[in-house]
Amino acid sequence: MSDYAELHCLSNFSFQRGASSARELFERARACGYTALAITDECSLAGIVRAHEAARDTGLKLIVGAEFQLQDGPKLVLLCENLAGYTALCALITRGRRAAAKGTYHLTRADLADGLPGTLALWLPDADADAEHGAWLQTLFADRLWLAVELHCGPDDARRLRLLESVAATLGIPLVAAGDVHMHVRRRRALQDVLTAIAHRQTVAEAGAVLFKNGERHLRTREALATIYPAPLRAETLRLADRCQFSLTELRYRYPAELVPDGHTAASWLRHLTEQGMRWRWPDGVPDKIRAQIEYELQLVAELAYEPYFLTVHDIVRFARSQHILCQGRGSAANSAVCYALGITEVDPARINLLVERFISRERNEPPDIDVDFEHERREEVFQYIYAKYGRDRAALAATVISYRGKSAVRDVARALGLPPDQVDLLSKVFAWWNGQDTLDERLRERGFDPASPVLRRVLKLTAELMGFPRHLSQHVGGFVISDQPLHHLVPVENAAMAERTIIQWDKDDLDALGLLKVDCLALGMLTCVSKCLALLRRHRGQDFSMATLPAEDPATYAMIQKADTVGVFQIESRAQMAMLPRHKPANFYDLVVQVAIVRPGPIQGDMVHPYLRRRRGEEPVEYPSEDLRAVLERTLGVPLFQEQVMKIAIVAAGYSPGEADQLRRAMAAWKRHGGMEQHRQRIARGMAERGYSVDFATRLFEQIKGFGSYGFPESHAASFAGIVYASCWLKCHEPAAFTCALLNAQPMGFYAPSQIVQDAQRHRVSVRPVDVRHSDWDCTLEDDPASPIASPALRLGLRQVRGFREDVARRLSAQRASAAFSDVADLCARAGLDKHHQEILAEAGALRGLTGHRHRARWAIAGVEPQLPLFGHASPAEDSIVLPPPTQSEDTLADYARTGLSLGPHPLRQIRARLRAMQCKDSRTLRATTHAAVVRTAGLVTQRQRPQTASGTSFITLEDEFGPINVIVWRDVAERQRQAFLEARLLGVDGRWEHVDGVSHLIAHRLLDMSALLGTLDSRSRDFH
Amino acid sequence: MLWACLLLPHLALDGVLRRRPASDTPLVLVSGSAQARTLFAVNAAARAAGLYRGQRLTAAQALLGQFDVVAYDAEASARWHRLLAAWAYRYSANVVLLPHAIVLEVSKSLGLFGPWPRFEARLREDLAALGFRHRIAMAPTAQAAYVLAGVHDGLAVSTDDTLQQALAAVALRHARLPGDAASALAAMGIRTLGQLLRLPRNGLQRRFGVGLLEYLDRLTGAGPELMKEYRPPDTLDLRMEWTHEIEHVEPLMFPLRRLVGDLAAYLAGRDGGVQRFVIELEHRDAPPTRVVVGLLGAEREAALLFDCARGRLERQQLPQPVVAMRLLARELPPFVPAGRDLFDTAPAHAMPLEQLRERLRARLGERAIAQWRRTIDPRPEHAQTTAVQASAPTGIDTLPRPTWLLDRPTPLRGPAPTILAGPERLETGWWDGGDLRRDYYVVRTRAGQRAWVYCAPGESGHWMLHGWFA
Repeated sequence: MSDYAELHCLSNFSFQRGASSARELFERARACGYTALAITDECSLAGIVRAHEAARDTGLKLIVGAEFQLQDGPKLVLLCENLAGYTALCALITRGRRAAAKGTYHLTRADLADGLPGTLALWLPDADADAEHGAWLQTLFADRLWLAVELHCGPDDARRLRLLESVAATLGIPLVAAGDVHMHVRRRRALQDVLTAIAHRQTVAEAGAVLFKNGERHLRTREALATIYPAPLRAETLRLADRCQFSLTELRYRYPAELVPDGHTAASWLRHLTEQGMRWRWPDGVPDKIRAQIEYELQLVAELAYEPYFLTVHDIVRFARSQHILCQGRGSAANSAVCYALGITEVDPARINLLVERFISRERNEPPDIDVDFEHERREEVFQYIYAKYGRDRAALAATVISYRGKSAVRDVARALGLPPDQVDLLSKVFAWWNGQDTLDERLRERGFDPASPVLRRVLKLTAELMGFPRHLSQHVGGFVISDQPLHHLVPVENAAMAERTIIQWDKDDLDALGLLKVDCLALGMLTCVSKCLALLRRHRGQDFSMATLPAEDPATYAMIQKADTVGVFQIESRAQMAMLPRHKPANFYDLVVQVAIVRPGPIQGDMVHPYLRRRRGEEPVEYPSEDLRAVLERTLGVPLFQEQVMKIAIVAAGYSPGEADQLRRAMAAWKRHGGMEQHRQRIARGMAERGYSVDFATRLFEQIKGFGSYGFPESHAASFAGIVYASCWLKCHEPAAFTCALLNAQPMGFYAPSQIVQDAQRHRVSVRPVDVRHSDWDCTLEDDPASPIASPALRLGLRQVRGFREDVARRLSAQRASAAFSDVADLCARAGLDKHHQEILAEAGALRGLTGHRHRARWAIAGVEPQLPLFGHASPAEDSIVLPPPTQSEDTLADYARTGLSLGPHPLRQIRARLRAMQCKDSRTLRATTHAAVVRTAGLVTQRQRPQTASGTSFITLEDEFGPINVIVWRDVAERQRQAFLEARLLGVDGRWEHVDGVSHLIAHRLLDMSALLGTLDSRSRDFH
Repeated sequence: MLWACLLLPHLALDGVLRRRPASDTPLVLVSGSAQARTLFAVNAAARAAGLYRGQRLTAAQALLGQFDVVAYDAEASARWHRLLAAWAYRYSANVVLLPHAIVLEVSKSLGLFGPWPRFEARLREDLAALGFRHRIAMAPTAQAAYVLAGVHDGLAVSTDDTLQQALAAVALRHARLPGDAASALAAMGIRTLGQLLRLPRNGLQRRFGVGLLEYLDRLTGAGPELMKEYRPPDTLDLRMEWTHEIEHVEPLMFPLRRLVGDLAAYLAGRDGGVQRFVIELEHRDAPPTRVVVGLLGAEREAALLFDCARGRLERQQLPQPVVAMRLLARELPPFVPAGRDLFDTAPAHAMPLEQLRERLRARLGERAIAQWRRTIDPRPEHAQTTAVQASAPTGIDTLPRPTWLLDRPTPLRGPAPTILAGPERLETGWWDGGDLRRDYYVVRTRAGQRAWVYCAPGESGHWMLHGWFA
């Protein structure tokens, strides 16, 4: 049987066309005994790295190529003969993609004018085999052109072959066989039909005209091919395959060189900057230990030639600093003494002496990993700096491959199968969080579907096949790739959805696989908050702090943290974190590092949290499986909590090399998607048995590793985060007014809504003043408060709290007020240029009370303001004052919530307390004084609903009354039984059991009561997290 | 003047329920776009289960597993509204349609149907029999009657003084104020009509425009009533329903004769004719069967109309038993006596195809004549269809397909044929369970005919004949 190489094959990175992954294609091609396989996605190399990996793993040769349809010419495939051809292909794809909207391309004959040296071209003739197309291609490619014969059991293949043979003979173009492959095996044809229908936004039944008539576009066996193509056409595929010698491993990537001034090498310049930084960080002299550490690090960096990377990150951070944009690095490389000296991170190596071990390692040859967080409101300035400095052809964001998940997959499949929109909606709910394996019959029946019906069976099967398929490219959250040569020499660049953004076609895994470096510039809301807070302290409190100079290890701050008094601070503010704090009682910086990492799905699923807490409290002895592991696990009392520790255990206890441990880390992150953990399980079991560890320990360790999955938190990130945690806690503890003010001005972010943040400030005796056009700016501000019991300024709410109010209008209003106070409503409206909408929402918000009196009067006054006429000024006629009844307290509260989402007046529950008391509901203050295990009833506004994936159906509801929050735990059966109250109640009554242990209290719900009717139309929006 | 208002708070729902047997099954009407369907009305059982008007359908489905969903049909609702107006027209010549209500001037009718309590009882009795829930109030202005019916069922106010008192107590949200005045005023602390009427008129006009003042004047009788009066329709819509189910065509002839007789009487009354009318046969659980009766010219003679209608009805297959019959006549041109018919002698034979087709269609029904058309379905069995309006779908490849496609493939007997082209492999149609996998060939039989045959993929032999080429 003769050999064959497939030269025209799409993977599923030809979105909505290819119906198999590169891995499936390569495995099939190898099974069929092909000599080579080209991956030729349509105007894209987005899937080529995956193809490269699949080729490597199957040992089958990959030919890199792409398929194109010219607007004014033929369809063709280009294959890379060598590196020059690859560069030309990247440039062509970049040109086509940049010239069209996201997700599409636009190429004409003119774009191919340079003939793309280094590529081979396959002409894919249309039905008539237009000879003009062939002749034109011949002028460009000459002896690099073939005519591809693709036969798929059409109406008359013999005739088609004769036609192509005669065209080829006339033009003198050699013929070659190709498959136009869209799937690896024939049984994918249903999915391929569905993809086609999705692409055409039709149902499969409607799409008959564009569906393939049969399943021949798969990788056919060589026996089958032998009956279809004449032998010379098959032999020709081998000649082409042999000419294509390009491999992605030839790509060489260089870091930008311009950061090194003349007369310096990258190494000497990095050393220079580091020395400079050392004098700044340690004005009294560098400790010997640190100096040695820095020497070691610099040597390692030089050895691996990573200087340009550090210089690039340093340059970005230097820019941010010069613009007073707060930023902080994190990641394994960030927590090094060099990075501390360079100002990339604030984690003092003397304070965290344990982190340097995962800096960068020789063996792993792993690119250094530094993520830099910036104030979220100002990160765009950093992006623009990068674009300006390197130019758009040398800097671009990495892509993120958006893949089909249960919900999106079932939506597209069900639509393609013609299900009506309401059923599609229902199905997408059933499939949310589906892993592709569990049986869904029960959940389908719940929604009124019959899982046995043929339609549903088809939906299920196709959805399972589609899940995990790439759907489109999106932009990475902040990963920049910067290169010395234009990026399109390495990888195609295309437009992102956002104007003025460009992305490369590879995602971060692709970059890792090819050793390209990226700098992650991420946006972090809490840095905005801290930056604003520090500015407020400079202005109002005469204190000039930076994140690094805030007093360290402050006992009052830790005391606050231990009480879980952490509403609004970074990371440790969530309910789960708060429930942990009184048990964990963090007392120093390293405890915060642990605290940040411990409340994560990884440690929770790996069952590491409770052993750690018990050991910390001396309830169980601290033991180590071996003396070797003591070094690894000592700082976490023998319990592995960090990703780094898991890797280190693999090295120490199971005999992994550092490089293998790194593969383990990658497998950990990916096993849910790709599997592939089995070999590690055996390896670990074997390695640990050899070193004398018990089978039990090995099994437990492996489960922990799996539990970590992609959720395991690296210590190197936790350390940087802990710095921000500490800063935000210190500010909250010592400057609650400024902290609250900055937090409100940095919204939206974090776990709590403004209402909870403000109530928390009030509970800390900060005086909070309402929005008032006589005093409020856009942002919240601080005002003098001589009467403050805690010597704190008062917080004045800003116009930003008023829903629907525009920032530019607020700024205009402030400016006008600065020149002269407003005399009345008409004056305000005229001078600030308020339109009807803004006038009304000011009245709604109660912001006019200083000018008009109560809300009813404000609304009457606003309704009487006549539109301003240019010639006549703002003379609304004077009117006799009329008597209007004042609003009741509850009306005011309702209006407050409706327009500002919070109320400074009495809490709504105080207003209905008498009725609640009559219904035997206890308030939260009484509850806190109630003994453990008492059966109680309470009620509160629902402020949050959470159903974490890790909690197997358990939900957490946070209620709020006039004395504070109440944490409610709802088991699955209660939630199911009382679904309506559970999902919809705004005022929720709960009968349940009060639990109060170790300073952590919550209510286990037995019965839920929807008491929303008591509230009227109060808009207390719950934040629901699912 | 005295106006009675018949408020119909559940018009749409009652219109649906009156055609269904009484049942405790939760039922909702839904409206809105397909992506955001919301409940328009809910019956008692659905309300008891926590469903309410304005709720998203998906939310309702999350609460309650099983309930009947009927699409809200504004047109049907408007039809019931007009039907009730026509009924009210019996009691007064001044009938006005208001949203969800009908008002009629009753001062002149009281002599005939009064006194008011008796008249009111009669109206209630009629409405109850028709199956529409209602609230009734009487007042000196139509607008006041409309408002009062909403707040106080059964209230009757006949003097201006008592009207002022009755209105003063009405909460603004029930006062049917134009635009969003009610919510704006509520936000200013104004809760009742009494409070509103005491506010300075110029202040109100400045804030709410002259429209509000005019409305208040209409309400209190200080200004003119400006309302469009109801007029009976120009089209005819007759309906008969019966309590038992009729399963065969024959017994339908009796009601048909009644309805056609009514039609003829009506036509005689307007001195007009009818050229086309529709008989709708209503079923319990299926859309009505429509029978279009077309005539060559306008006719009005009862016997002739009945013959035409019977001819059409007798050919009708009944998908389900019939529970009601409806006759709709919209095209009512003037009547011009003439005496031609289709099979008249003379030049009728020379009729062009277009005209013949139209005539046959008029005579035999819309669907009696159809045209062959290709579909986009790639499966031969589904590739042809008939259509009233023939327009070929775009984007279909031209494929070798036989002119005569057999309804059902049959084995090809006889000696092995000569293969002219193929195999053309078809593997498709999985989406509706009709997946097929075949290799098709164009062959020449020993007898010299060109045939379209297929066999299982990759095999040859066991030929199945699927069509003949011309």
